Amino acid sequence: MTPKFRKVFSFFNHRFLILLIFSFGLLLAEFPSKPIKVVVYTGPGGLIDITARKFTAIANKYVDATFVVENKPGAGGIVALKKVIQSPADGYNLYACTKSNIAKFILAGGDNYVDALHWTAMLMADPECVITNKKNDISDWKAIVNHAKNNPGEQNWVGPATGGLDHVTAMKIWDKYSMEAKWIPFKSGGKALASLLGKQGIAYVGNPRDALGNPDLYIAAVSSRQRLDAFPDTPTFTELGMSGLENEFMWRGFALKAGTPPEIIDWYTALFKKVTADPNWREFWGRGGIDVEFIGGDDFTEMVREDAATFEYYLTKSAIISDSNINGLAKLAKGYPLMGVIIGLFIVLAIIGLMIYNSGASQILGRVMVIGFFLIVSAVFYLQSLIFPVNSVIGAAAIPRLWITVLVPLNLLLLMRTIRRQEEIEGSGSKINLVLAFIGFLVVYLIVMLYIGYFISTFVFVVGSAIYLGYDKLKISLMVAAGWVLFSYIIFYKILFVPLPMGVIFEGLF
Amino acid sequence: MELLTNLQGGLSYVFGFVPILTIILGVTMGIIAGATPGLSPSMGVALLVPFTYTMPPTLALILLVSIYIAANYGGSITAVTINAPGTPSSVVTAFDGYPLTKKGKPGLALGVSLVASTIGGIVGTIILIFFSGPLAKIALKFHPAEYFALAIFGLTTVASLGGKNWIKAFIAAMFGLLLNTIGIDPISGVSRFTFGLSFLYDGFALIPALIGLFALSEIFKQLENGNLSTQGATDAKQEWPTIGTYWRLKITILRSSFMGTIIGIFPGAGATIAAFISYDVSKRFSKNPEEFGKGSLEGVAAAEGANSSSVGGALIPLLTLGIPGSASTAVLIGALMIHDLTPGPQLFVSNPEIIYGLLASLLLANVVLLVLGFFGSRLWIKVTTIPKMILFPVIFAVSIIGSFAVRNSFFDVAACLAFGVFGWLLRRYNYPVAPIVLGMVLGNIAETNFIRAVMMGGWTIFFTRPTSLIMLIVAAGSFTIPLIQAYKTKK
Repeated sequence: MTPKFRKVFSFFNHRFLILLIFSFGLLLAEFPSKPIKVVVYTGPGGLIDITARKFTAIANKYVDATFVVENKPGAGGIVALKKVIQSPADGYNLYACTKSNIAKFILAGGDNYVDALHWTAMLMADPECVITNKKNDISDWKAIVNHAKNNPGEQNWVGPATGGLDHVTAMKIWDKYSMEAKWIPFKSGGKALASLLGKQGIAYVGNPRDALGNPDLYIAAVSSRQRLDAFPDTPTFTELGMSGLENEFMWRGFALKAGTPPEIIDWYTALFKKVTADPNWREFWGRGGIDVEFIGGDDFTEMVREDAATFEYYLTKSAIISDSNINGLAKLAKGYPLMGVIIGLFIVLAIIGLMIYNSGASQILGRVMVIGFFLIVSAVFYLQSLIFPVNSVIGAAAIPRLWITVLVPLNLLLLMRTIRRQEEIEGSGSKINLVLAFIGFLVVYLIVMLYIGYFISTFVFVVGSAIYLGYDKLKISLMVAAGWVLFSYIIFYKILFVPLPMGVIFEGLF
Repeated sequence: MELLTNLQGGLSYVFGFVPILTIILGVTMGIIAGATPGLSPSMGVALLVPFTYTMPPTLALILLVSIYIAANYGGSITAVTINAPGTPSSVVTAFDGYPLTKKGKPGLALGVSLVASTIGGIVGTIILIFFSGPLAKIALKFHPAEYFALAIFGLTTVASLGGKNWIKAFIAAMFGLLLNTIGIDPISGVSRFTFGLSFLYDGFALIPALIGLFALSEIFKQLENGNLSTQGATDAKQEWPTIGTYWRLKITILRSSFMGTIIGIFPGAGATIAAFISYDVSKRFSKNPEEFGKGSLEGVAAAEGANSSSVGGALIPLLTLGIPGSASTAVLIGALMIHDLTPGPQLFVSNPEIIYGLLASLLLANVVLLVLGFFGSRLWIKVTTIPKMILFPVIFAVSIIGSFAVRNSFFDVAACLAFGVFGWLLRRYNYPVAPIVLGMVLGNIAETNFIRAVMMGGWTIFFTRPTSLIMLIVAAGSFTIPLIQAYKTKK
């Protein structure tokens, strides 16, 4: 080794050593050494979002940590859950969860999501209740039960999604009273309340808070042990003579990825206890009749398991999830094999299309291909609809099949007209290769973005594609690209908290 | 007269320094959010909600509704200048706005869309202030059967949208409806067409589809045509509408404003359906229906008047019943709750200053919108003079943020590109893409309400309820008449 070389080598060694010590220091440093992401499974403005934000505001009184609320809506919490369980178990991703998530985990089936998380703390519980409309002929609980018994299966109960907590609570209530009624699901609790106010429904199941603010709404019964401070006139089910319904509630809490080090879990547990004791926190939730209570670790896990079992029982009972054997043709229509077949079909279609294009064959073939695409989609969707369980008057398959039965004849009609050349021939451009190249650019841009993040890849893409398209003012395109990157960084990333991809390579740095 | 006293109180509050500043800020941000392809009004509002948690409640609401109104207008800017509707409802604005830009007259479209938006917004607010009580009662009487009939009525606009290509228009609409069924079925909870992939549980989001089908497909189309110079007029002498132009549109603007407000009050119907139906109706009433789709100012006015006035309509169920009438107002409910306010009739009694402050700020925000929009349009129109060689790459960069921000999901970005390629292919073969968007908007409303109605009252309910029967008959008529006309003109 020459001295010069050795010098360089030792220099690297030196830096390497510093880096090593530094990163070791990071590991040993007290938790938290970087911002903690609180992952919320709804958009901003939902109750769980408010919970998360209120929590971070109060937690900052007790610990010196930076909390960033990140909204990851989708699939009833599974998108947010995946984000948490795909990150390292280092305590920097806190999942804000509710009992509704458990129902969704059961509905989604497959993976064991319950064990993928450490259920760190339940912070609050809202009892479930039955709300009625004072302007309806029957609004009193006993009258509702009598009416239901005299008209089995006739009563309309309204509320949010099928298979959700409110629906399962309703089913439990019907079970206890051995009565029958219909569950009419709405897109949100609010829309279900509108239908109750419009006298289309008799009862609504949800949170007591939902009855605030509108004098026509009346809470007929609440499923808590004692009467709620916020609604002293509302009887509990126990008072109404029914036991077994005193513990139906919606909880909200926080979970970490399973396998998070115990000292980090202790850190959170201590924090959750302090927040629960905070007067400001208690007052904020107490006004809506929400119980603020800390239940941690094993007790919480136990609770979650019980919830999962209950959901599984009722969702199977109402045939929302089914384990029945699927027969015949429908077997082909399941999961990844089908996905593969579909993608294969489209690739074949695309290749044929390209060949036709290159051979300069007739314009008609392109048109037929589009029709072919719609027909393939229809066939695939129809095949898939065969495996949907049937659990109500009109099953999940009815409406998709309706659209398909309109789509197919229309396409056949068009096919006939196209072949007979009754459809107008449209002029189209000639630079199709430019388009294909540009699409290729975009695909590469998107893939690269996953690795180096939005900002760098966008800069390169804007400048590069401007040059490709023949823009010769390099200075201007550099300025435009830099300007956009800076603008989007400040406005979207910093101010609006849109968590644009930073790239796998740089992820650790932020 | 208590109403007027309260309103006066609200106005005197709003004319303070801080509220006016808040409105200006909100309107500016709203225009930018609306003009960014992908940031819909509800997302603009949602993204800003966390900021308002620390503000006084009245100011917080003023900021959010200013954003809401301005974003509804802002969507039309990009719809007109680059055929990239910033919001779902401005799809309709693009029908005539973009052809005007292609003819070198973006100024006319921008001017008319601004004025129609402002008037629509004010009409909607006035109706909200004076008639919210009775209108809320009507909204409550609306049965699922009627919602279904409304959705069908909305779908029939495809017949007149499609014109000669009505078969293709219907195929596109049906395809949009079918796409809408992907994901967890809202009624039965069964997951449909998801192939076990979790990112499909919620189906395709509307915004990425919208950006892909309109903005990206337009770029691909222009690349294919090799048309890379600037679009529209390049000279400084831009043509702007005169007072006379606006005066000639008065009936169209007022009619669409009323229609927009009324359709807006039904929770879930919203700005997009309002714009489609109002456009369809205006076309039928117009003396020059053949100009629609080719650059008709009436078309622009009909779309914008309706989508802006629907804001006032959507606030009616929110304020009087505590029920959100649209995605944006659902976010507003969250904002109210964090300030410990429960939306609903009680709020008029317990916190009238908030309600009337809000109502007064709606009026003022529309005026601010007119002023800012007036100067803003002079700026926005410059977009049409940017060479496409640099404009197109930037539109892609913007589209990616827009589609990503919907759910912070990369899947949506990929979907946006796929919709772009698909939209381009369809447009090569003369399929209109707007019906796909309409299908995706209406699919859920049609399906869930159809099933709800049947669950509540059996299969015959659509014909035994007079309102729904009348709506279905009108829908059938409005569906067949354009087809017969198209058939006759062919002969």
